[in-house]
Amino acid sequence: MSGEVKTVLGRRYRFAALHRLHSEKLSEEQNWRIYGKCNNPYGHGHNYVVEISLSGTVDPATGMIVNLTDLDNYVEREVVEAFDHKSLNEDVDAFREIVPTTENVCREIYRRLKRFPLAKLERVRVEETSNNAFEYAGEEIQDRAAVQ
Amino acid sequence: MVYLTRKIEFSAAHLYHNPALSAEENRRIFGKCNNPKGHGHNYTLEVTVAGEPDPVTGMVLDLKELKEILEREIVVRMDHRFLNYEVPELKGQIPTCENIAQVIWKLLEPKITQGRLHKVRLHESPDLFAECYRNGASQA
Repeated sequence: MSGEVKTVLGRRYRFAALHRLHSEKLSEEQNWRIYGKCNNPYGHGHNYVVEISLSGTVDPATGMIVNLTDLDNYVEREVVEAFDHKSLNEDVDAFREIVPTTENVCREIYRRLKRFPLAKLERVRVEETSNNAFEYAGEEIQDRAAVQ
Repeated sequence: MVYLTRKIEFSAAHLYHNPALSAEENRRIFGKCNNPKGHGHNYTLEVTVAGEPDPVTGMVLDLKELKEILEREIVVRMDHRFLNYEVPELKGQIPTCENIAQVIWKLLEPKITQGRLHKVRLHESPDLFAECYRNGASQA
């Protein structure tokens, strides 16, 4: 089997937030039909779990891909503080125009953490409940196009 | 291709200390993991083997055999051990999740002869883990 062995570090974080699934592009009736109870005008909330995977060189001096304190501080600032105990619809600018489905929350977290300078973000997984999970690993096709 | 995953647990002690660094640097980089007496975790290891099920047995590999390999190679070596002092494969390395996962990969890969080792995922706690897999292998 060819290919070097890759090592990734995984870390989980939590936040609790409100969202409401409602699109301005759809009628009231369509919103209700598509989103069901998630369209309740007052919104509802979840305990979200965010699992991120990062790759990089394992530093021989520390045995680490990235120092956890640096990673935790970054994720706390960029994601947890920005989302925890907030209304995703009203308190997070990214969701003023797009519906804060957990698919979109996953992509927004990926966008924020992709800028982390100390390791390469590989994947973001967001668990909306213990039964619903979403994963995003970037747009491979776009990445490939960017390289060519 | 079918991916088969077996989970095992082991409990072990470790500490993070690099003798090439000053006491102050060790404390700054490793924080409470630098406590000289060490501390411990309940580790969870998930081992994924990829392969085609045998047409006769319907198995990628015999789970009983995988269980024995994991017992012999990992549990006997690491369970209720102080990883820094009692696991020779980790000698000279900081026993972080990343390094332990790499050692586990190297121990297991040559032993998996039916199917091939696809991924190891080592949890130090529910919120911290490391994974090793072949670059380019599709992740399952």
